[in-house]
Amino acid sequence: MPEREPLIRWDWLADHTDDSAERLVEHIWLTVIAVAVGFVISFVLALVAIRRGRTYGPITAATGILYTIPSLALFAILVPITGLSVLTAEIALVGYTLLILIRNIVAGIQGVPRDVIEAAEGMGFGTATRLIRVELPLAVPVIVAGLRIATVTTVGLVTVAALIGQGGLGKLIDDGLSRRFSTLYITGAVLSVALAILADGAFVLLQRVLTPWARARAAR
Amino acid sequence: MVNRLIEPTSGRILIDGRDISKDDPIALRRRIGYVIQQTGLFPHQRIGENVAVVTRLLGWSRKRQRERTDELLTLVGLDPARYRDRYPSQLSGGERQRVGVARALAADPPVMLMDEPFGAVDPIVRERLQNEFLRLQEQLAKTILFVTHDIDEAIKMGDLVAVMQQGGELAQFGPPDEILARPATDFVARFVGADRGLKRLSLSRVGDLELQTAVTAHPGDDAEEARRRTLADPFRYLLLTDDDHRPIGWVDQDDIPRSGVLTEALAIPMSPLVSRRTTLKDALSMMLAADVVAGIVVDRTGRVLGLVTVESIAAAMRPPDRGVGAATDGSGPDAARRLAAELAARDDQELGRTEATRA
Repeated sequence: MPEREPLIRWDWLADHTDDSAERLVEHIWLTVIAVAVGFVISFVLALVAIRRGRTYGPITAATGILYTIPSLALFAILVPITGLSVLTAEIALVGYTLLILIRNIVAGIQGVPRDVIEAAEGMGFGTATRLIRVELPLAVPVIVAGLRIATVTTVGLVTVAALIGQGGLGKLIDDGLSRRFSTLYITGAVLSVALAILADGAFVLLQRVLTPWARARAAR
Repeated sequence: MVNRLIEPTSGRILIDGRDISKDDPIALRRRIGYVIQQTGLFPHQRIGENVAVVTRLLGWSRKRQRERTDELLTLVGLDPARYRDRYPSQLSGGERQRVGVARALAADPPVMLMDEPFGAVDPIVRERLQNEFLRLQEQLAKTILFVTHDIDEAIKMGDLVAVMQQGGELAQFGPPDEILARPATDFVARFVGADRGLKRLSLSRVGDLELQTAVTAHPGDDAEEARRRTLADPFRYLLLTDDDHRPIGWVDQDDIPRSGVLTEALAIPMSPLVSRRTTLKDALSMMLAADVVAGIVVDRTGRVLGLVTVESIAAAMRPPDRGVGAATDGSGPDAARRLAAELAARDDQELGRTEATRA
């Protein structure tokens, strides 16, 4: 009876660390670009929604619909237009971050206590100064909460980008499944999950650094 | 409206004779100190940064901002070294309110707006903050527009009180004593309460009244001579004092011996001692508690200056329109009226506080 293939072949893994590392780096880049671009777009749209309250409904409705389209279907729609490119992958990935990020940025800024805004206005803050010095710092916890969800979601979604040839850890999973080589897909999956957890942890740290005042309250 | 957070639909608002609608609202606000009920401190900034907010907006140098911040924290009774680097969440409500006042004073604005500044703290802290603020105002001499729902606070804090009624109508505007003594409308009378007479008592001090002279004598003085002087006075008691003119006690005119000398043993327990700074309310309360009709007014060293009686307090409280007769019989000008005139004069010198009351 032939020896059964083990679930993970550590020797193979050791020989191919470079390959796995390369996929991991691709994965990280796809995620970072998606979240960064998504954040910039969301930020602008959130400010528009706050300044012109009537636009908030349509903005969330549009991004909400975008959010519900299955990723595979979105790729299918985009490939004829933008081809099997990074652009195709990023358009889809960015699209999925918008709803969460816009909602959290708007909620964060609108959640700034009324008396703080009134005091800022009464002391002679202009709109921009107030946004930068008062509203954004106070909105950090809610905005970071949105970034955490968006990032973890994106890390998972990036695996799908392998289907249109954009590499990432999805490629390991894909290859592993088609070759029935468990070492590959398990490696891809484990790294993807680990990346999501690490990214989440990084945001928690970032928030702690950005909001020393929140800890002061807890320590009272 | 004064700092243009709300624009008036009609009319003009002048500060130092300038129509503020022609000013840049942002620049205008930086010239007006602003204190609100919930303090509106920035939770993400340390106390020092909070106090320096306006000076920073005005572009002061860091060094100057810091010096000003420490100066102001000291002024409102918070040790800069202890409080500068704390966050608002680490302070009590009263401390936060003080920081709010310090912040409003940062750029030394000539005008301050205070919107129910002491509304969110408990009554004991409120009372303390009020007293501290009154003391502070004696040094600062700013024009302050102070909004409150509490008529007692308005009367205590204001040199001039504007009573607003529903619909934003001005019901009465004048010195606190006038509001209490002569409410312009039923609304004002109801608003200041049935105990407005008592409230007026806390506005005047013993020193505002013409003190009554007491018949005094020292132990060892000739009794018959003292008795004759006491009988000649409308007040039936002789005040026995020591050599430094400090009170020892009372002697009823009937108990003064017809011969010999006065002794300390004749004296019966004293009336309460009050100073010129004692409010009429406190003086009256002490007299009622001691079940006497007169209080002895003493100076800082305890020497007798004169007497304040229940009757003289009542006379001072008589409404001016009915009290004219009483005031012209030689017992001196109506204290309350004098006070009102003084306040009005002070206001003319732009040293006055203005106070508005919203109903």
